[in-house]
Amino acid sequence: MFDRGILLQVLWTSIAAASFQVLLTIAFALVLKVTKIWNFAQPALMGVAFYTLFVAVNWVGAPIPAAILIAFLVTAAFGFAIERFAFQTLRERGSESITFFIFTLIFAQLVIYVLTLAFTTEPVFLFANMMSPTTLVGGVVVSAWDVSSIIVAVVLTLALLVFLRYTRLGQYMIAVADNADLAEAYGISKRQSYAAAMVIAALFITAAMYLFGSKLAVFPELTLHMMIFAVVATILGGIDRIFPAALAAVGISLLQQLSVLVIDSRWQPLIVFSVLFVAIIFFPRGIRLPARRVVGDGRTGVGTAEAT
Amino acid sequence: MSEVLRTRGLSKRFGGVVVADRVDLMLEGGRIVGLVGPNGAGKTSLFNLIAGTVAADSGSVLLNGAPIDDQPMHARARLGISRSWQHNRLFPSLSVLDNLVLAGRDPRDTSVTRERAMAQLEKVRMTQAAHRFPTELSYGKQKLISLARALMNEGNCLLLDEPMAGVEGPAYDSIQRVVRDEAAAGRAILVIEHNISFIKDLCDRAVFMFAGRIIRTGTIDEMVESAELTELYFGT
Amino acid sequence: MEFLGSMLIQIGIFTILATSFNLIIGYGGLMSIAHPIFFALGAYGSALATLTTGVPVPIGIMLGAGLATLASVAISLPSLRVSGDYLVIASVGFQLGVLQIIKNSEWTGGPGGLSNIPPLIDTTGPAAIWSYVAIVALAAIATILAVRRLVGGDLGRAITAMRDDEEAFSALGHDAMRLKILLFAFGSGLAGLAGGLYGHYFLFVTPEQFEVLYSAAMLTMVVVGGIRTVWGPALGAVLLQLLPSAINFLKLPSSVTGPLQGIIFTTLVLVFMFARPQGLLGRAPGAQVVAEEDDPLEVRVK
Repeated sequence: MFDRGILLQVLWTSIAAASFQVLLTIAFALVLKVTKIWNFAQPALMGVAFYTLFVAVNWVGAPIPAAILIAFLVTAAFGFAIERFAFQTLRERGSESITFFIFTLIFAQLVIYVLTLAFTTEPVFLFANMMSPTTLVGGVVVSAWDVSSIIVAVVLTLALLVFLRYTRLGQYMIAVADNADLAEAYGISKRQSYAAAMVIAALFITAAMYLFGSKLAVFPELTLHMMIFAVVATILGGIDRIFPAALAAVGISLLQQLSVLVIDSRWQPLIVFSVLFVAIIFFPRGIRLPARRVVGDGRTGVGTAEAT
Repeated sequence: MSEVLRTRGLSKRFGGVVVADRVDLMLEGGRIVGLVGPNGAGKTSLFNLIAGTVAADSGSVLLNGAPIDDQPMHARARLGISRSWQHNRLFPSLSVLDNLVLAGRDPRDTSVTRERAMAQLEKVRMTQAAHRFPTELSYGKQKLISLARALMNEGNCLLLDEPMAGVEGPAYDSIQRVVRDEAAAGRAILVIEHNISFIKDLCDRAVFMFAGRIIRTGTIDEMVESAELTELYFGT
Repeated sequence: MEFLGSMLIQIGIFTILATSFNLIIGYGGLMSIAHPIFFALGAYGSALATLTTGVPVPIGIMLGAGLATLASVAISLPSLRVSGDYLVIASVGFQLGVLQIIKNSEWTGGPGGLSNIPPLIDTTGPAAIWSYVAIVALAAIATILAVRRLVGGDLGRAITAMRDDEEAFSALGHDAMRLKILLFAFGSGLAGLAGGLYGHYFLFVTPEQFEVLYSAAMLTMVVVGGIRTVWGPALGAVLLQLLPSAINFLKLPSSVTGPLQGIIFTTLVLVFMFARPQGLLGRAPGAQVVAEEDDPLEVRVK
C-alpha cells in the first residue's frame, strides 16, 4: 500500500521527532519517580526555558551555547524554587495530593498567562532561519536537525542512566524514590534528592525546548498540550519507570507520525488523547514485558503485554 | 460448630518480601482464634488479604463456603467480614455516634441504626461519648469505640487487630467480656494480640505466624512452652 | 440596564459552575480540570439538539446536561478504577481532546463556533432580560440548595468519612468508587446545565469560551470563596465576575486584559492556597484538641 521509501522516511522522521518528546518524558517521569508528585507545573518550566532561550538569542544576541547555559540556569532556579518554596511547604503541612494538583496546574497556568502577556499568543521560532541542511541517505532525507536531536537525546539519556547507577547522588535519588523515609533513616537527605530531580528535569526540559524551538514554533499555551504527551508516555511506561517511559515516548511518536499516512493531519493531535484513554482503560499499570512469574498461578493483575 | 471463614494457599509478596506464604486457616462460628507472632510476621497483612484491602497473588478466601476472591473490600464487608485496625482509624471529622452509624447495615441515620449504635456503645460502656469527636478521647477509649464500630457489622466474621493495645484497667475486662459475648452469639473471631495473657484467657486456639507462614497451630500453652517459638518470637 | 442584567446572568452561571466544581474537588476530593468541557458539552449539546432536531429549548438544555453527565461517567469509571491520579490525567486528556474535536469538526461550526442558537425566552425587550436573570438566579440557588442538601445529610456523612479515610470507609461496607462517580456525574451534569443556560442566552458559542484555562477561573472562585463550604463558591463567583469588569474600566487592549485577568485569578489561588487555605467563608482549623489520658472524657484545649 505504501512505498517502502515513504515508510522509511516517516520512520526516520518520527524517531527524530521523538527526541525532544523523550527528553520531556524523562523530565516528567524522573520528578514523579523521586518526589511522587505529578508535576503539572512542567509546562511552566518548558515556557521559561523556551522564552529565556528566545530572549537570549533574539533580543540579547547571545551565542547559542551561552543562551542554552543561561536558559538552563534560569529553568533550574525555577524548578528548585518550586521544590523549595511550594512542594516542601505543602509536604510539611501534610497536604493531600489534590492540593499538589491544584498548585501545579494553577502555577503552570499562571506562568502561561505571564508569558502570554509578555510574548502574546503569536507562535515564534527560536531562529529566524529555520532551514536545516539536509542530505540524502539511502533515499531518506536526513536533516542536520534530525541527527543532532537524536544525538542530544541519546547522550542525555545515557548520561542520566550512568548518573543514577554509578554516582552517589544518583543512588541516593533511587533510594529516596523507593522509600523516602527509610532512605532518610540511613542518613540520605530527601530534600537534596527532590531538589536534584527538579534540576535534572530542568536540564532535560531546556534541551528539549531548544530542539523543539529550533524546528517548530512555540506559543505559551502549547507547553500545556506538549505535556500531555509526556504524561501519556509516563503512564504507558509503568509510572515508576523512567527509561521504559522514554521508550513509550518513541512508540507514541511513531504512532503519531505514521497516522499521517492514513488520517487527516488535523486529527493528529487526537492520537495522543486516544492513546491516553486506551492506556488508562487497558494498561493502567503500563505496558510490561511478560512478567517474571513469581509464586502461585501468577495472577499479576493488569497489563501483561508485549513491550513497545 | 460450622465453618465461617477459610483461606486456601493464600499468598502475597511485595517485591522481595513475602507477607503471606500459602496460608491455610479456618475459623468456626463461636470460636476465638488468636493470631500471634513477631512484628513483621504478616499478621496484619493476612487481615488485609481476607478483608480485600490488598489482592492476593494466589490462593483463595471462602466465606461461609463461597469464594469471595473477586469481591472488592466493601462487598466483603457487606457479606459479613468486619475488622478493626491496630490504630483504630476512626473518622476524625465525625462524632463517635456517626462513626458507628456509618458502619451499620443501613448507614442512614434512622432510629433503628441509631439505637443499634447506642447498643454497641453500651456494650463497651461508652454511651457517654456518643456525641464527642474521636480526637477528644484518649487512645484507650478510641480503642473501645473502634471495637464497638466493628460490631455494627452484623456478619459472622470478626477480625480484631490488637484490640488491647494501649488499653488498661476496667476497659481490659470489658473488651474481654465483649469479645467472649460476641463469640457466644455465634461469630467467628480472629484476634491479633501481643498480650499473651489476653490470648490465654480468651482463645480456644492460637495460630503462630512467622515470615508469612503459619508454622504452628495449637493451644497457647503449647506455644509458650515451645522453646523454638519463643526464640522466633523474641529473637535472640 | 442590559449590561447589569447580562452581568448578573454571568454571575449566576458561574455560581452554578463554581458550586458544582466545589462538589467535585472540595467534597469529592476529586481533581479534574475538565469542568470547562462539561460546560461546553452542555452548551454545544443543547444548541445542536435544538438547531438540528428542533426540540424545544428546555428539552435541549436537559439533553445537554445529560450528555455532560454521561461523558463524565465515561471518563470517571475507567480512571477511578485505577486511582484518583488517573482521573486528573483523564480529565486533562478529555478537556484538550474534546475541544480539539469541536475546533476541527464542521458540525460544531469549527473554530468559528455556532450561531443562531434559539433563545430560551425572548430577551429583546428591556423587561425580558430580567426574566432571564430570574431563571438563572433560580437555577443557581437551586444548585446551591441541592449541594447543601447533598453534603448535609446521610450522604454528607459518607462523603466526610470517605475524605477522612477511604480505606476504612470501604472496609465498613461502602463503595467509595460509586460515591465518587456519583459526585463527579452530578457536578458535571450541573456544569452542563450551566452550559445550556449560557448558550441559549448569548445565542452564540465558540470553542475558545471553553478553553482549559477557564478551569483556573473556576478553581479561583472555589478556593477564594472557600473550598468545601456551601456558599463560598457563589461568593467567589460574584467577586471574580466583578473583577474583570473593573479591569475593563482601565480600557486596556484585549491582548492585555485576557492574560492580566488570568494572572490575577491564578495568583489569587496561590495566595489563598498558602496564606488562607480555608478561603473567605471557611472556618480556620480549630484549636488543637488534645486528649487527656486519665480523666474520663476530659478535654484539654491547647
